[in-house]
Formats: sequence, structure tokens, C-alpha cells
Amino acid sequence: MSARGRPRPRAPRKHLGQNDTVDAKQCWEELETSLRQILTRDHSDLSFEHLYRNSYKLVLKKKGDLLYDNFKELETQWLLSNVRPYILEHIEDTVISLALQNVSANSADQKKLAHERMLKALKTAWADHNLCMGMTTDVLMYMDRVYCDEQRKLKIFPLTMGLFRDQILHAPIPSILYAKIPEPKPATITVLNVLITVVLAQIELERGGDIVDKNLIRSCMYMLEGLYETDEEVEDTQLYLTHFEPEFIRTSRIYYKEEAQRLLKSMDAGSFCRHTRHRLAEEDRRCGPTIPKTTVAKIIEVIDNEMIREAIKEVIGMPGSGVEFMLDNHRIHELRDVYDLVSRVDNQKKALKDAVQKRIVDLGTTINAAAQMTAKQQPPKPDGENKAAERPVNQQTLAAIEWVSNVLSLKDRYDLLLSQAFREDQGLDTAFAESFKVFINAFDRCSEYLSLFFDDNMKKGIKGKTESEIDALVEKGIILLRYIQDKDLFEVYYKKHLARRLILKKSASMETERHVLVKMKMEIGDSLTSRIEPMFKDIDVSADFTNGFKKYQKELGDSDKKDGELEIHVLTNTMWPLEGLSSKHEAKTSQCVWPAVLDRIKGSFERFYLNKHSGRKLTWPGQLGTVDIRATFPLAKSTIKTRELNCSTYAAIILLLFNDLAEGEHLTFNEIQMRTGIGGSDLIRNLQSLAVAPKTRILLKEPMSRDIKTGDKFSFNAGFSSGFQKIKIGVVAANKAENTIERQETEKKNDETRGLIIEAAIVRVMKQRKQLTHLQLTTEVSQQLMSRFALDVAMMKKKIESLIEREYLERLEDTEKPSYKYLA
Amino acid sequence: MVLRKDQLEITLHEENKLIQTGKLRDDNPLDSSDSFHQLCIATRKDDLKGCQEAINAGANINGSDRFDYTPLILASLCGHYEVAQLLLESGALCERDTFQGERCIYSALNDRMRNLLLSYDYSKSTDPLQPLAAHITSLLGRSEPDTSDITITSADQSFKLHKFILAARCPYFRKKLAAAPETTAFKLPAAIPPQAFSIALRHVYLAELPRDVGGGPGTGYSEREVLDGIDKLSSQLELGNLMEDIIGVHNRRQARQNRTSETALGRAQLETWFRENVLRYKVTIDSDKANEVKWARNNAIFADILLRADEEVNEELDVEGVSENTTLPKMNGIPVGPMADSTASGVNMQQRPKSVLFPVHRAMLLRSDYFSSMFSSGLVESQEKPHLHIVKVDCTPEVLEWILLFLYAEKTDFPLDIALEILFAADILFIERLKSKAALVISTLGSGTLQQERGKLNSETLATPATPTKDVLDPFETLRAAWELRVPRLENFVARYFAYRLEQYIDLPEFADLIKESAARIRNREETDTIEIIDDIRHYLSERFRLRFEGEGIAELLDEGVHEDGLAGDINGSQQPFGNSAIENGLGHQPLLEGEIRTLDGELVSDEFESDALDYRMLLGKIEILLEKLELDA
Repeated sequence: MSARGRPRPRAPRKHLGQNDTVDAKQCWEELETSLRQILTRDHSDLSFEHLYRNSYKLVLKKKGDLLYDNFKELETQWLLSNVRPYILEHIEDTVISLALQNVSANSADQKKLAHERMLKALKTAWADHNLCMGMTTDVLMYMDRVYCDEQRKLKIFPLTMGLFRDQILHAPIPSILYAKIPEPKPATITVLNVLITVVLAQIELERGGDIVDKNLIRSCMYMLEGLYETDEEVEDTQLYLTHFEPEFIRTSRIYYKEEAQRLLKSMDAGSFCRHTRHRLAEEDRRCGPTIPKTTVAKIIEVIDNEMIREAIKEVIGMPGSGVEFMLDNHRIHELRDVYDLVSRVDNQKKALKDAVQKRIVDLGTTINAAAQMTAKQQPPKPDGENKAAERPVNQQTLAAIEWVSNVLSLKDRYDLLLSQAFREDQGLDTAFAESFKVFINAFDRCSEYLSLFFDDNMKKGIKGKTESEIDALVEKGIILLRYIQDKDLFEVYYKKHLARRLILKKSASMETERHVLVKMKMEIGDSLTSRIEPMFKDIDVSADFTNGFKKYQKELGDSDKKDGELEIHVLTNTMWPLEGLSSKHEAKTSQCVWPAVLDRIKGSFERFYLNKHSGRKLTWPGQLGTVDIRATFPLAKSTIKTRELNCSTYAAIILLLFNDLAEGEHLTFNEIQMRTGIGGSDLIRNLQSLAVAPKTRILLKEPMSRDIKTGDKFSFNAGFSSGFQKIKIGVVAANKAENTIERQETEKKNDETRGLIIEAAIVRVMKQRKQLTHLQLTTEVSQQLMSRFALDVAMMKKKIESLIEREYLERLEDTEKPSYKYLA
Repeated sequence: MVLRKDQLEITLHEENKLIQTGKLRDDNPLDSSDSFHQLCIATRKDDLKGCQEAINAGANINGSDRFDYTPLILASLCGHYEVAQLLLESGALCERDTFQGERCIYSALNDRMRNLLLSYDYSKSTDPLQPLAAHITSLLGRSEPDTSDITITSADQSFKLHKFILAARCPYFRKKLAAAPETTAFKLPAAIPPQAFSIALRHVYLAELPRDVGGGPGTGYSEREVLDGIDKLSSQLELGNLMEDIIGVHNRRQARQNRTSETALGRAQLETWFRENVLRYKVTIDSDKANEVKWARNNAIFADILLRADEEVNEELDVEGVSENTTLPKMNGIPVGPMADSTASGVNMQQRPKSVLFPVHRAMLLRSDYFSSMFSSGLVESQEKPHLHIVKVDCTPEVLEWILLFLYAEKTDFPLDIALEILFAADILFIERLKSKAALVISTLGSGTLQQERGKLNSETLATPATPTKDVLDPFETLRAAWELRVPRLENFVARYFAYRLEQYIDLPEFADLIKESAARIRNREETDTIEIIDDIRHYLSERFRLRFEGEGIAELLDEGVHEDGLAGDINGSQQPFGNSAIENGLGHQPLLEGEIRTLDGELVSDEFESDALDYRMLLGKIEILLEKLELDA
């Protein structure tokens, strides 16, 4: 067998000496010297090739253990005897300075310097360590890749990292220094503890406005990030995460808690928010350049908690500078700060919402009170009872306009705030609307006032305005309407005012009227407008009648020029709140004595109308009509003695009386009332407009005073003159707003209507469901009626009682909750 | 996801049309050359060695014979797993969606083969030259360690480049640099868009060409201008294929072919350059003076480092050393290797040892992790000195040359006799690819006699005394190398090698030592009861004899052999006392009569099957005995 020759493939082993033990030892000694040179940074003359070969040899000769263990020992010794003393030397001042925490300011600089010295020392040590270990890993590459893999040993780099951690960071500080630590002493203080304390102190300095060396801190953080709790290097056991970060968060929490408490005492709300925002930005900036980016969420959370969640309520409510102040002074930026901060911690933004809502309601209540004040201003003069009745009425309109415009401007302001300060927040928008609803509905005349607002605008407000302006105006009205809960009440008022506008042709633009109607329909739905639309229809139909009647007269041929023309409104009684136009206890309109001229036309139309619609009854409410009269004033100073007068039907009737009078004669109030049969207050008002109003003083009154008394005498003012050919004589102080009694009546009536509606709703629901608990029933009914008015529970109960009495419903006895059953 | 036949035929038809019009090259051209024929024959015969030799001889691995068979299809058809693996590793194509590729997969003998083929589908496998190309491309963007030695500026962009690559790849620069080798900066005419130059550069650096040449809004040049610039550059710099490749980039297959040929060209250029420069200027010098050699940094071949390899000492001494060492270390227990020579420096005083210095380029050495670490280590080798560093590599100049050839030009067709050395060198230098290549070479070329042995086991091998000198490799050493260098492939190979000629080795004391070593290796790791090498040998042993039987019969036969302890024991028992001598007799002295069939221990049997069964049992038995002797359980 020895005959076997040399196998031709040769292995390149010449460089491996034959004597294992000596060679291994020698190899290691050589390596050791070189590795030491690397550690002392004296490596420029070392040959990679040489070092590598040594480690290769050792591993290939199965001396990997020796190499590995020796290397570990070498590195440990190095760290222990060179690096550790270096660090401890630089740590001394720091520890002392930490020990003397509350020393005067002059040592602050020294303290800072000491800190920086220590950080620098660590930074240097770490950088050196990394560099050297990088080289060492390269040199020992063969061991790293072959031996460590095979033996499942820790690779060199993590190994040395672990050594650094154990020998340097976890090194306890010398006992001399330890003795200087003030009580209570922790069990052991390691370099790592000191490092963390120092970095935290530096950060606190920076928070205080000092300038610190960010790069230095960052380097140390990199070190903590590069080291792990165990040698397995599990990602989430970075020393940074296990040691530094929790401590950082803990101290930051304390810091910000104290700061919040301090600032709450010393700062106003706006500054507090600015400061908090500044802090947020600052911490955000810190993460990255100074400490790792990963902490950002956690530290921000700390601020959110300590500075916002804990304090924001107090900030918002801060007297003299809180949200109330900001709202009143239109501090948009501050409000935006508050909003931003609140929305960080609370999606609902409850604190802010509550504050703003409260403010809106407060302001609204003030507006309400102001409106009431306006309404009550200039209390009725003690004398002249009739006039006294009119004054507050005027005042009401004024108050209504003022109220509405105040509410609208409040609304505008908060809309502006919403968009500028609150970033169009949906939740706040709803909350605002809610608050508006609250105070608007707290004002018991809101429906009436809103209607008056429309009325006023329809009559005067929209004149000379462009379409878009009108649109905006209407839109505003509609917005308020949205807030009003008792829409049925609004309907009543609106109808009343509308009727007046339509009949007296006070409306500035029919088109706008219809436009408003359409808007309302869109906003509230049919329930409101379905009872208003017929009014417009009547007006349209009436125009036809007028034309038809003209034709009819022509055909008849008996049209007398003297009779004049007739323009007629035929109004459906039920749709028009006619009774509202005259006082109920006034004499019946039909009782008025029609002068022959008018009576003829009236008769003629009645014939015409009944011809078409037999079986109907026409009533002629004189106070609603107008008449054009041509009057001659012989003593007028101007050349043209005749004027055309447009006046109410009653005024015309009154004036016609004076046709029969000789010059200089007069009629007393009683005479006029007797001869015309016009009711008291109507007569007074018409006479007022004819005899008192300076521009339309067709009659002269004796004695000359503002108030009409029963004994007054009236005579024709033959010397009347005016700059205008056509003169419109208005009826004084039309019944715009209601006085207290009227309103009570309106409400009473409204309540009756509501009662019926509720009953109807109950029956509807019960018919469908057959059996319901009280609660369910209430819910369903209130839902059905929501668009019209807010359900009054007391009324609801009353109505249920009434329905039970009338045997529509039956109370179920045996159920747990009170329930009802529908009786078919 | 196999294509239907009609779909395949359509593809085939279209392919043929393209080939006829010259747009595409045939992937599998008819090849009637001798070397290709050899390759085909070897493939059929499962002759790994023959295959490797034919491949090394330059046979077109993707050619087809006159029956339209490619070597890979043949291997697939016959189920020669190792051969197919070798072919695939050497760059044989088996691409889904091509006719030949599908054909190859269809014809796979078994699932094992099929899975092998599928795992080498083009999308997963790479062009064997790809690592080289990728390395060269990576040099474009690699700044650490800085290996560039020339800066070329085009408009406002500057490119840090390597003179030797430019010179190797581009005739224009070759001339320019030959005239002025010390140039360190070069400026392109401003008319040429930097994008164009960038693309030309990527071409030179063997990168894949971009589908989009760039240009357009925001870049300052229109696409047209960039293309013109490329055109101009391609003629000026004499980059013949650049324009063609740019145009062909949109056809996947054509682009691939272009790229393959371009990398092949690039490889060839680098090889030529390497041979004409590096090898031409290598210096042979006395070893003790080697380190005094001073090469200027500015040299005509742009080398920036010298690699030193020492000649082996005198051949005779070497042989002596070996003969000593083959016996000596074994006494000490674990041998470090038979080659360890103590005498090299001491004894050989009168003959001055020679060293060879290769002037090379760090840029290429970076392919080895060893050099890569070295050049960025901060130690002396990475510092810039006026004269080039000399780095010693622990191998012979011959081996180093092969290594360099691999690093520069991906050449791996080295002979078997230095394969083991290359394996060691590749291990120390951390060149994994070369390591596996070396293992491949050993396991293919080294298996040469395997085929012979199998066929002529009973006749010629036995007739002519096994002359170990004929053996091309030492399995013991190879196995130890495999263990040391962690090459499982080689371990398997050696086990197979042993199994196929176990009768030659089973009784050698070295073999017993080897088994002890193997057992020890395992004990080192975990407590298991198997001995790796024995398991492997048994496995291949069953493969060796199984091949002699058809179908299932073998299982029964083998079961008999294994389970009938009595019989096996009997055979073992009878063998034990005269184990070695019996073999020696059998091998050496008993002349074999014509027509007679004898077992390995010379018994006369009625037919071959019986003989095989007996042989098999006998060999298994011998293993048992050996284990018993070694007091090992397995």
C-alpha cells in the first residue's frame, strides 16, 4: 500500500508549519501584538495579509478556540485597563457636579463643561472602539466566517459590542465618587446611568434655552442604539430603548407637568398655547438631530398629555384670556392654536366646544335681551290710549330687525371663526348650530321676529339690491329659519305678514316672494309651504278675475266712466289669515256703508262673480282695499289744482263724505263714524293718515293734535298742495307686529292647532303600530313633527289622555312600561 | 403551465422565421465538431469526466447533434442527474417557452430531473458570465475602496473609471492610453450628451442597457440627440455592437442574445488583455528579493498592486516531504495535511526559491472578499504609496494565475491536478464561486475512472492490478479538504468515489482512520449515531449495485442480503481473518479465466446478478467489521 504515489492535486499548505503547538502560540503572539497596535491606533504599518494569514492558520489548524478566547480576553483586558480608566477619569467632574445639584449658577457653566467632557470622552471611546473593531473584524475575517459559524459562536463584532457594553457602560463608578452621591443612593451607579443623567440634563438645558452640542449627544445616542441588552442583538432591546428612552420619557413627563402648572399660573391662555405649540415643534426637532427619530411619537405624547390633556380645560376657561376672551376679541390665531392643541388630544374637542357653545348662548341671550329692551323702549305715553297701542308695534319691528341682524352678524362671525380658526371642523359646526338653536328658541318671539325680518326686507330691504345680494339676504333668513324649532308658529306669522304684503301690494318683488317660498320649501319641505302657496294662487286667479270683469263690464255696456275701474282680489277664506288683519272685536266689515259709487261697482262684480261661481259668498273687507281718487284743491298754491290720491278704501269712503259738504263745513268724528259705519280703530287710523300726517293732510282737524278724539271736527283742506301729482296715503301704522295680547292669542291658537296635529300624529302612529310603549310613541311622534315644532311632552300627555277618553286609545294595564293600544 | 403542442409549434415556426431572416441566432445550432460529439457521447454515458473535458475543450454546450439533440436533452432523457447538473452549471440553457427547453423538460426521465431542469429556468439561473459582468458594472458606482485611476468628464458630469477596463474593452482608449498611460483626466467634446456617454460607459462596463436611453424634457437633451450621441460615440470609441444592442433592447430574446454575446466578448477581451499585459509583465525573481521590487504607480498596464506567489521548492524534495508526511501526521492524530512541508526553506539552501509577481488591478481583485476587506481595512495594503504594494498569496504561481484568470475572465477550465490547490486558495481568499467551481472540477474530472470501473469491475480492474499511481486524486486528502473547507459536494463525491471502488480502499488503514475522523467530526457537533461518510458510502454502494438490476427485484435481493444476518455474518466471519490478503490475492495474483464470473473475493458464481449480490453483501459486511473493529456504532 505504500506504493501509492503522490496524488497529483496538491494542497497548498507550505505556509503551515508542522509543529502545531509552538506555531499556534507564535501565531497568536504575533497577532496579539498587531491587534494591540490596532487598538492603539498604531496600525499604519501592519500588513493585512500577514494578520489574516495568522488567523487563517489558527482556524485551519483547529485552533479557533484559542484564537477566539484569546482575542476575547485581549479585548476585555484592553477595555478594562485602557478605556475604562479613561472614561472614569472624565466622568469624575460630572459625577461631582451631579452630586451638587442645587449649587449656585456660577457652577452651571462648569457643570456643562464637565458634562460635555464626559460625553466627548464616551464619543471618542465609542468611535475608536468601532473603528478598531471594524479593522479587527476584517483581519479576523476567516475566523469570523468559518470558525464562528461552525461553532455557533458569537461573531466578532457583536462580541466586541457586548464587551464594550459590559466593560464600559455597565462599569460601576469608583467608590470614591459613589460616596459623593447624595442620599438616597441607588444601589449601583454605572457609567450608563451617569451618561443618561447627563444627556437628560443637557436636554433640559436645551429646553431652558441653552445651546448644547447636539452632535455630541447624537453620537452617544448612536452608541446606545448600536448596543443591545443581550448578545443576541434583538432589535427591541437596544440600550437606547431599554435604558435611555424610558428615563427620557419619565423625566420629560415630570418636566412638562411642572411647566404646565407653572405656566398656568403665570401665562395667559394665548401665550400658553403658543408656548405649547413651540414645545411640540421643539421636541419634534429634537428627535432626529439629537435623539433618535423613533422617540418622536412618545415624547409628543408626553406633551399632549401633560401640557394639553391635563391643562387645556383650564386654559380654555382662563378668565380674561381664555377662549371667551379670544372669541370676543377675534383672536383668530390664538383660537387656532387652541383648536390645534385640543384636536391633538380629543377628537370631540369637548372642552373647546363647550366653551364656544357657552359663549354663543351667552351672546345670543344678550341679543335676546337687547331685542326685548328695544321692544320696550319708549314706553307708551300715559295719555292717548290709541296711540299707545301703536307705538310698541313699531318698536317691535325695529326690535325684530335688530334682533335678526344681530343674530346674523353673530352667525357670520362664528362662521368666520369656524373657517379661519377652527379649520372648518365638522363637529364644531354642528355644535355651533346647536347653540344657535338653543338661544334662538329660548327667545319666545323668534318666529315672529324672523317673519318680521322677511316682511321688512320684502317691503323695503330688497329695493335697489342686486339679485345676488337679495339671494344672500334670503339665504340668511333661511339659515335662521333652520334654527327655529316652532316652524308652525313661524308659518302663522309669515302667512299673516305675507297676506298683508300681497293684498296691500307692499311687496317689492313678487319674484323674490316666490323665490323665498321655493327656498323655504327646499329647507323645510312641503309642510310649511303647502299652506302658503294657495295664497299666491289666489293672487294669480284674482288677476284673471279683474281682466274678466273688465271685459264683462264692456260687454254689458253699462260701464260708466264715473264708476272707475276695479281690481279685485278674491281670496280663499281659510287660506288667508284675514281675521288677523282686523281686530276681532271690530265691527263687521260688511257693516260699513258703501258710498253709491263704490256700491255700484261692488254690485256689478258680485253679479259677475256669482255668475261664474254660484253659491259662493263674497265679503268685502274694506280695510284691505285701496282706491284712487282724483281730488281738486281749489285753494292750492300750485297751478294744477288736481291731485290723484291713492288711499285705502275706508279713506276713500271718508273722503267721499266731504264731497257733499259745503266749503267751511265740517264733520265730527262721531258723524263720520255714523255715516260710514267704519269700526273704531280702523277709522282712527284712516283719519290719522288723512288729517295728521303732514304730507297727506287732506283733512283739517280741530283741534290740531296727533291723537284722534271722538269730539274732533274735520274739514276739507282745500289749500292742500304737494310736489307730487300722485299721492299715496298710507294707513298709519299698519298692524305689523303684535302686541302682547295679540301674541298670546296667536300662541293660544297655535297651541290649539298643535294639539290637533299631535293628536293626528298619535293616531297615525298607533294605527300603524297597534301597540306601543309611551316612550316609543313619544319618540315616533316627535320625529314626525320635528320639522314643524318641538314636541311638548306635557301637551303630548294631555292629548293622549284626551284620545283615551275619546276611546281612540286604550291604556294597557299588565305591561311593565306604560303602553297604549290602538282601538280601531 | 406547460405550453400546448400547437402553441409550441407556432412559437417554433416564428422562431425559425426570425432565425432565417437573421434577426435571431439559433440557440442550438447544429454542431458536427469533434469536441461536441465527444460531449454528446459523454453525456449519454454519464461520463462526468468526459463532459467536463469536452466543455473545457470548448464544445458548444448548447449545440445540437444531427438528430437535433442537445447535450442537456440527452442527459435529461437518460436521467443522468450529475451530468445534467454539470451542464446547467456550465451554462446549458433550459428555458421555458422555447421549443428545445420544453422538449428538454418533457423528456426528463424522472421528477428529480424535471425539478432540476425547472430550477434552472432562465429567469432564475444566470448566465455563467453574469457575476463577472455584474462585478465590472458595480465598479462604476463603487467608491470604497477607490480603485479608479482616470476621470472622464462629459459636459458637467464626471465619471471615475478604470484605465485597464477602458483599454481592454475599447480600441479607441487602448490606443489613447498606450500613447499616454499616465493620463488621469480626459474630457469629452461638449457636443455629446452625458446621457449618451453614460450609456456607452455602461456598455463598456458590461451593464444591461436601459430600455429608455434618457433625454427628453428636463435633461437638456432630446432623445434624438442622445441617440445621435451614442451613435457618434459608438463609432468614435469603436464600440461596434453598441448601437445594435441599443436598438435590439426591446426584443426580450434578442436583447438576451445580444447581452450574452456582449458579455462573452467582454470576457474574451478581458482575457486577452490579461494575457497580453498582466501575464506578459509578470516578474519572476528570487524569493528573498521579491519584496524589494519597486513598481511605479504609473505603469503602462495600469496595475495598482502586485501579487506575489512563491514557486514550489524542488520537486524531489517535495515528493520526499510528501512521503514523510503521509505517514507522520497520522501518528499525531489529526493530520493537518500531507503537504505540510517543514523542509522547504531549510533543506533547499543551494536552490534559491523563486517568486512570481503579477502586476494586477485592485478593481478586479475586489471580487474576492479577502481583497475587498484588505483594500478597505486601513492597514498598510490600503494606503497609497509611491510604489505598488506587494501582497503575498499563499499558493503557487500557477494556481495564482488561474485564480487571476478566474477573477479577470471567469475562466475555470483548470486541470484536475491543481484543482485542490485552487480550492484551498479560493477558500482563503473567500472566492465562493471559484471554490464551488473547483469542487465541480474535482468531482467531475476526478470521477473519471468511475465509469470505467463500473463497466469493467469484474474483468479488467481485477485483471490488471490497481496501480494507485494511475489514480488522479487522493480521495483521503480530498475528503479532508472537503471537511476543512466545508464543501459538502466534495464530501458526497468522495463517498461516491469510495463506494464505486470500495474493494480497493476498504482494507487500507488510512480508510479506517478516515472513518474515525468522520465519526469524531460528528461527535464534535451533536450526539448522533451516524457516521456521515459511512452513510454516504452505503448510499452510493446501493446505487452502484442497484444499477445492475431491473425494477424491484433488487429490493428483495438486497433485503435478503441485509436481513439474513446469519449469512452475512457467515460471510463476514469467513472474510475476517484473511481480509486483506484475499483481496490482494484477488487483485494481484489470481489470473482470471475468460468467461468465468467471479466475485470480488474470487469466488466463482453462476451469473453476474448473483455475483453483484454477493459483492454487495460482502462489501457491506466489510464495513460492519471495520466499524466493529473501530468500536463505532453506525
